[in-house]
Amino acid sequence: MNYPGWELSFAGGGLLIAMIAIVHVYVSHFAIGGGLFLVLTEMKGHRENSAAILDYVKKHTKFFLLLTMVFGAMTGVGIWFTISLLNPGATSTLIHNFVFAWAIEWVFFLGEIVSLLVYYYTFGRMEKNKHLLVGWIYFIFAWLSLFAINGIICFMLTPGAWLETGNFWDGFFNPSFWPALFYRTFLALMLAGLYGFVTSTRIKDHELRESMVRYCALWLLAPFFFFLASANWYINVLPEHVREVIFVRSPEMVRYIKTFALVSPVIFFGGLVMAIGLPARVKKPLAYLLLLIGLVYMGSFEFIREGGRKPFVIYGHTYSNNVSPLKVEQIRETGILSSAKWVKNKVITDENRLEAGRELFNLTCLPCHSVGGPINDIVPLTAMFKERALEFKIKRLDKSPYMPPFAGTEQEGKALAAYIFQELQGNK
Amino acid sequence: MNPADLVPVADMIPVPWGWFQFFLILTFMLHLLLMNVMVGGGIIALFNHLRNPAQPSPLVRDLSRKFPTTIAIAVNFGVAPLLFLQVLYGHFMYVSSVLMAVYWLSVVGMLIVAYYSAYFYNMRFDALAEDAPKVLGLSVVLLMMIGFVFSNNMTLMLNPQKWTAYFDHAGGTMLNLCDPTLFPRYLHFMTASLAIGGLAIALLNLYRKKKGDPDADRLIKQGMSWFSFATAGQIVLGIIFLTVLPSEVRTLFLGGSVWHTSLLIFGISGAVLLLFFGFKKMVLSTTVLTGLIVLVMVLIRDLVRRAYLAPYFSTSDLQVASVTQYLLLLLFVVVLLLGFGVMFYVLKLGHEAFCQEGEVRP
Repeated sequence: MNYPGWELSFAGGGLLIAMIAIVHVYVSHFAIGGGLFLVLTEMKGHRENSAAILDYVKKHTKFFLLLTMVFGAMTGVGIWFTISLLNPGATSTLIHNFVFAWAIEWVFFLGEIVSLLVYYYTFGRMEKNKHLLVGWIYFIFAWLSLFAINGIICFMLTPGAWLETGNFWDGFFNPSFWPALFYRTFLALMLAGLYGFVTSTRIKDHELRESMVRYCALWLLAPFFFFLASANWYINVLPEHVREVIFVRSPEMVRYIKTFALVSPVIFFGGLVMAIGLPARVKKPLAYLLLLIGLVYMGSFEFIREGGRKPFVIYGHTYSNNVSPLKVEQIRETGILSSAKWVKNKVITDENRLEAGRELFNLTCLPCHSVGGPINDIVPLTAMFKERALEFKIKRLDKSPYMPPFAGTEQEGKALAAYIFQELQGNK
Repeated sequence: MNPADLVPVADMIPVPWGWFQFFLILTFMLHLLLMNVMVGGGIIALFNHLRNPAQPSPLVRDLSRKFPTTIAIAVNFGVAPLLFLQVLYGHFMYVSSVLMAVYWLSVVGMLIVAYYSAYFYNMRFDALAEDAPKVLGLSVVLLMMIGFVFSNNMTLMLNPQKWTAYFDHAGGTMLNLCDPTLFPRYLHFMTASLAIGGLAIALLNLYRKKKGDPDADRLIKQGMSWFSFATAGQIVLGIIFLTVLPSEVRTLFLGGSVWHTSLLIFGISGAVLLLFFGFKKMVLSTTVLTGLIVLVMVLIRDLVRRAYLAPYFSTSDLQVASVTQYLLLLLFVVVLLLGFGVMFYVLKLGHEAFCQEGEVRP
């Protein structure tokens, strides 16, 4: 209620954040597991005294650098830009409570860049042990970045005791911190194998290619059961009401849960298939296919995690539409329009009813719903209701487990219903 | 509608504002210098490359190798000041960002394309042949456009009286083009890039001269010329910028406040002295004094922001949360120092590796 809303209509409903966050997460986890992959594979090359393996690591480093440092890092900045546009109030809460965690993460990010660039540019020029040390330093910085960000992401879903104490440490080391850290670490290791397929299937020499592809398959498969175990642990630490929203009460979650469950064995068997001797012309496209399936896998998990937070953006602290649960009763008395800063129509009259309805829609619905877009489109969701039914529905919005309560007055509820029915549904 | 009513309520801060102010000034100054090296280096490379596309000079090849790395570091150093800015002025900046959301978000896309173009330019330098300047040009133009978007946002956040336009344009397509300070301000930053880019070339070649590089003298001269002519331009642009500032802001710097005025006098005299150092090709003296003058300019910029926002807000209005975070502040400082120590060590290893080969670090 504090900030203006970006009227996105088609691209609303979280489309932008989903687009940018999923690809970022997919690349940034690779930036962590892939870092360990680089040093361990370089060590393997030295151990086996194989110039060919070292040459492969060097080429893989270039691919790694171009993907993680450019696309990965820039989309990370992009997420920050995007959330501050879509949800400035919640972003401000995260920034003000965790500024030092962000600042520390910035140091790690800088450390990643410096060590990765040195690692890449000194390949074959630096003494072996020193070069490996630089690689290890990269990996440690990258994993520490995960450590810092993980605390803040988990905080949004399970703020735990922070809600009462306001203490940084309660918020950071919140109930889902450790399982999520393990979950993401194992995932990062698996992704190292998955991305490794892309470069290892391109190796010209048949024998080396086969052995490196098998080596990548090991990266994918070895952490797999630890990954599933940590996923299970993660689910178990979630508060009962969050689990209920995810697994019982949200019909649209079903497709993401099903995808996640279906893709798990697909990824595993994909890894096994890669390990057996197939010609390169089969393995190359298979590597890309698996990478794409991995993206779907990760995407479905992120959708479940984000979905579990409904109807909050910071659980128990801020509803998705930027209203604090503590203020709902107060706003219900004074009205949204008079409480919100960024509205033109402070009072509803017969003349401005639809215009005020539009402002109410922008404030209370637009943060999660698009108009005619691919995500949470309000038009089909409200199509079966007449205006009176919509008014009734709006009043009892929080009967649905994933909707925040409508914090407005009765008159405001009617104006909103009129806007949806007449303007969005086109029932003039 | 009263613009003051639109200003959102600020969140509480975990330690007193002075700490964030300190880190904001410090990291912004570093970001500014790096951004200048990045844009200036890019423009100078482009200029030299276009002068002789068939046979690019060794300077062009040299700059092409460093260009992607300068982007990586400049962007990273942009993260910290943007963070501290949001702590102190988030309730202004989030608003201006939403008002110009389409352009603001496009920064991310432009950055990715500019960054990949920079790598493409470097990695395919020879293969691209005469097309190379086009790739570099794309990167440089995008980086300059990003600067323009930032100038728009940083001025729009200072002008709540312009925010009411949101009620007619809620789609995030506003810019701040009618603001008379916008172009002088933007050009002030871009011209600074030419100066600092030139100085960086001179400084690098001063180091190479010591290693016995025969071409270094010529490049020092070239770098210092860029620096000196750009600095001359900066003095003119700076004065234009001053004259277009709103009178209540301007008068503070023209005698209205002793602190504001002395800082400005100090800055301008320093710039004049820099011209002298620059034309005399005194690289080290120029570098030290430039560091000092850039700090003064960053402080002046901060005072301008404070003067603009004075009717609405002062950082001293920010309330400190009941649960303070001094321990975390300390932890951040420790991590910062340790992290920089490790990075310094890594860079030293890298430097040694290249020195052993008798080559220069890319």
